[in-house]
Amino acid sequence: MSGVPVHLLDRLTERYSPFLASVPEAHEVALEAGESRYLHHIPGSLLRLEESRDDQGEVLVSHNFAARRAGNHGRLLLSAPEDAEDSLMAIENYLRWTLADMALDHGGFIFHAAGLAKNGSAYVFFGPSGAGKSTIVSLSPGARILSDDLVLVLQGQSGWQAATTPFKGMFPQGAKDRAVYPLAGLFRLVQSPSLALAKLPVGLAVGMAMACCPFVSDPLKRHGKLMKLVEQCCRETGVSELRFRRDSSFWNLVER
Amino acid sequence: MFDPKLYRRNPDVSWRLIEGQAVLVHNREGEIEVLNEVGSYLWEHAGEPLDGLSGNISQEFDVSREQALRDAEEFYQALVASGALQPFNEK
Repeated sequence: MSGVPVHLLDRLTERYSPFLASVPEAHEVALEAGESRYLHHIPGSLLRLEESRDDQGEVLVSHNFAARRAGNHGRLLLSAPEDAEDSLMAIENYLRWTLADMALDHGGFIFHAAGLAKNGSAYVFFGPSGAGKSTIVSLSPGARILSDDLVLVLQGQSGWQAATTPFKGMFPQGAKDRAVYPLAGLFRLVQSPSLALAKLPVGLAVGMAMACCPFVSDPLKRHGKLMKLVEQCCRETGVSELRFRRDSSFWNLVER
Repeated sequence: MFDPKLYRRNPDVSWRLIEGQAVLVHNREGEIEVLNEVGSYLWEHAGEPLDGLSGNISQEFDVSREQALRDAEEFYQALVASGALQPFNEK
């Protein structure tokens, strides 16, 4: 990352440095001051991210940044480089966008989910907003938090894996480093007064999982590749619907 | 009456048939639809004459041909409403 304003260096280093690597596949992005505003944003409403593609590469625009990417290089134009929080959010969104495609290029995908590791295995819990991802994390004090927001799911040599991501969620991660665990299961969350675990048909599971993949609105046409990977992961790992109540008893079901 | 010849699958909908269930992803809106067995059959054969489709459904499932025809029409109209099917003359 080049062109980083001095006042952001410490914050960026704290959050992302364990995840940076100098390998040929690494991505380089140049930060620059941009226009004062891009998309209109109504305070309190959901953040808008608009993707497109032209002959120079892919474009992502939000209210406070515009980004262009071609291959392993990108430019990120910040509306308010002097505003640390605003700029950090723009950088975070650029990295999420880029990681989504880098993961696909490497046979993986990022998943809007809570990832927890226990006894050497990863358990990934997903569902729409309000399904209970943060609740699951708060009910699991003995588990390592991979992320309560975005989990990286990858194909390893011996099966599917789940990895930490540096992205900001509600809970602090157990350690700010890269860690990968074998994926023990995917669980679609349903809050319920009773506890139950039921295996989902693969088709339904894929539909539910696809709905939790970021950038699911897809002018960049990544869905064909993504759906194949999600299907493979669902088929090989297994997806269950987890009905859980507000205590840690669900672990007795998911760890079986 | 719904005329299947006038409609096609929306090219902005990615889909896969998985264990008999069609999973549809609307690329622009990001919405997902998962169709049941009959719906998936109708989706796969979108554009084909309803007579033949409803006859096959009637044979395969415990439903009269007339009921199968009404259900197929209703189903296709729902797919048009959701944008999964679109008129041929629409880009």
